Amino acid sequence: MKYEITIGIECHVQLKTKTKLFSEVDNDARGKEPNSCVSPVDYALPGMLPRLNKEAVRLAVRAGYAMNSEINLYSRFDRKHYYYPDLPKGYQISQFYHPIIGAGFIELPDGTKIRIEHAHMEEDAGKLTHFSNYSLVDLNRAGTPLIEIVSEPDIHSAAHARDYCKELWRAMTYAGVTYGDLYNGNMRFDVNISLAKPGEPLGRRAEIKNLNSFRSVERAVEYEYERQSKILDKGERVVQETRGWNDATGKTTSQRSKEEAQDYRYMPEPDIPPIRLTDEFVKEEQKKVPLLPSDYRKLFKDVVPSDTLEVLLDYQPLMDCLWQCADSSFEGDTERGSASSSAARPWRWAGRTRPEKELSDIAKSQIKRVANLFSSVLLAEEKSYEMLNDLPSAAQLNELCTMADKQELSSTGTKEVFLKFFDPQMKEKSAKDIAKELNVLQENDTAALEKIVDEVLNDPACSKAIEDFKNGQEKVIGFLVGQVMKASKGKANPGAAQQILRAKLKS
Amino acid sequence: MNITREEIDHLAELSNFELSDAEKSSLQSDLENIIKYISELSELNTDGVEPTYQVFEMENIWREDEILPQEAGRAALLKTAPSFHGKEGVEDYQLKVPKVL
Repeated sequence: MKYEITIGIECHVQLKTKTKLFSEVDNDARGKEPNSCVSPVDYALPGMLPRLNKEAVRLAVRAGYAMNSEINLYSRFDRKHYYYPDLPKGYQISQFYHPIIGAGFIELPDGTKIRIEHAHMEEDAGKLTHFSNYSLVDLNRAGTPLIEIVSEPDIHSAAHARDYCKELWRAMTYAGVTYGDLYNGNMRFDVNISLAKPGEPLGRRAEIKNLNSFRSVERAVEYEYERQSKILDKGERVVQETRGWNDATGKTTSQRSKEEAQDYRYMPEPDIPPIRLTDEFVKEEQKKVPLLPSDYRKLFKDVVPSDTLEVLLDYQPLMDCLWQCADSSFEGDTERGSASSSAARPWRWAGRTRPEKELSDIAKSQIKRVANLFSSVLLAEEKSYEMLNDLPSAAQLNELCTMADKQELSSTGTKEVFLKFFDPQMKEKSAKDIAKELNVLQENDTAALEKIVDEVLNDPACSKAIEDFKNGQEKVIGFLVGQVMKASKGKANPGAAQQILRAKLKS
Repeated sequence: MNITREEIDHLAELSNFELSDAEKSSLQSDLENIIKYISELSELNTDGVEPTYQVFEMENIWREDEILPQEAGRAALLKTAPSFHGKEGVEDYQLKVPKVL
């Protein structure tokens, strides 16, 4: 590449609190009429007094743990002033000087670490809709708690920019701090991009605002690389500005906002006293963060192929389910659906306080098998999303794995039983009961198999084949195994049948 | 300390104020006086003094995450608005403002 690209990303995450950051107003405006979730705090009546939502502080602490950040025990709020109709107070309450979340990092699937500079709490603005000669304002979203996560400029490709955003989304949703609904703007990305020739100082940057999908982050970076390259090729300089992304055209365009606007006149927020957390408060919240994708990558490395694992990691309940299958010492709830109840989650804290447990060989083989069933059977099915809401229990899956290991089920039979775990009629049944009902149990009983083999060997129709085999025609064994399978109505374990056949033919 | 006319213009722009020349002049001298008065503080030696962000010495004033009914909700908000409007004749309770963007 002719130019090196340097990218820093700011991400706004909406926290899933019941009320807003500073008012006791419903924070969930989905499907509600415009301006139906507002109080004088949100629309800034003079004299109003904001009151901090403690749950937002708790979630921010958890978010910090999920990005490997230190929590600043002392933090406070500042006013960031700008004039815009979506911000009735004329300032946004944010944290500029003393943010709650300090430096940390996010680890990408390929192991690259992207450093987090800091993250802070702030309130969201209202929603504007623009028309030809006026704009409409809905303040339902004004005051929604956000954390803004600011990365260091550690990202150097479009693919890594996408991976970072996705990994951040996973970390925040696994940690349970946001619903993570990207379509509805629960997480929004601002991407700063600048180019330079290798070894030369960074060029001026453009900021692409308000991207809300991983794909658009990647495409916007690719587009900006081309656009800025062309400018630099001509010996010109890139204009430092804010640009908007148009998903339909695949282009960024200048949003010539007033150059004045960068003067925010930060000042301490006098209405909100500072936050001083105790170590106990922080620890209590950190304990609520489950294993994250990066933890699972370390744990399941050498067990589940990384491309399979990356697919499964998009579905946290699946990962919980896998973990429960692996953890033989697991003492939580093993009922169906327990994977999605928080009581059954593997907690990140435990991994930090005790040396990482080595997985037993049995656990590894179970995980491998279940991961494979999920990726090749479940995710290949239509409607798999619905199925993910009601996962089988660890007990059901473990029994299925054990049966497969003991050759009581063929690989086809294993898949058939697995799919029935999602069948409303059969999902409560054990693997064994389902296998019986489907009639897919393999015959492994040596005595029973020997009896069938004897029948086949005594069948005059097989005498030529037997003779051919004894004369050295190896291939004929396949025909004989086939006859055994037929005689057993498909229930014989073909491996075992072949062994017995060979033993009897040798004697 | 002198406040220039450009600084007054800048501040007015940031706050979206439309000011007459007379208002600008009076604000200019008012602001100069305010800053002069406050500047007397900089004669003090504040080495090693923690900045004061608030005077009540309170901390952790927070509330639990519970929704409370609002007496002054949408109806009260709309009363304060110069104009509200919905598209195509349907009242959708959004505030209407001059086009921004």
